[in-house]
Amino acid sequence: MGPWYFVFLAYGIVWCAILIYWLMLKRRLVRAETELAELSGLEESQRNVKT
Amino acid sequence: MYLHIPSILTAYLSFFLVFVGSCLYLWKREKRDDILAYSAAEIGVLFTALTIIEGAIWGKPTWGVWWTWDARLTLTAILLLIFAGYLMLRRLTEDENRAASSAAVLGIIGFLDIPLIHMSVYWWRTLHQPPSILRPDKAPWENIAWPLLIPLLLNLAAFLFLYFYLLSLRFRFGEITAEIKALKLSRDF
Repeated sequence: MGPWYFVFLAYGIVWCAILIYWLMLKRRLVRAETELAELSGLEESQRNVKT
Repeated sequence: MYLHIPSILTAYLSFFLVFVGSCLYLWKREKRDDILAYSAAEIGVLFTALTIIEGAIWGKPTWGVWWTWDARLTLTAILLLIFAGYLMLRRLTEDENRAASSAAVLGIIGFLDIPLIHMSVYWWRTLHQPPSILRPDKAPWENIAWPLLIPLLLNLAAFLFLYFYLLSLRFRFGEITAEIKALKLSRDF
């Protein structure tokens, strides 16, 4: 195994891990934003019904 | 070197933010400080795990082994376990406030491992070389030649930029989650 094997392995693992984490974080954020929008909309409509 | 050093320095910064956020949370009981600590801990665990993996990849061609029970390596593995425990504690404790308080105490204790990791190469006879950048006796440019130091500092700046971007996303997620929980709680009452 030459030195380039280790270099590619190190860079490959780092960027894959960061990319996967970033994608997961984005997905969690989008889901949370959607849920918040739904809950806020529901809250708003309940307030309108009361008034 | 260009990945291993920036990732551990980013992890150190992350756990410093956990320490600051935890102290502020225990003092003022503000949710924002707890969200900061939780967000920083999650990203810190990622960068610590990457540091250990990169260290193993660097260690194999230079030391001949992927892993050895050297003081610095072992203490870094303990740091990773402490903060993995921190994340588990957050997920497994149902009472939100109790989880935040217990995690804050663990975050402060976990941060105390960092000076031990940093000084371990001076205090014990280790296989790991002394620090390259944060040396108590020498400035970085006295220790590393400029042609090597400049790309290292550039990589460090890139890692920090990426770190603050990820932290801002994670912090926003924490804020939204807290808002959702507050809305659900107000609806229940």
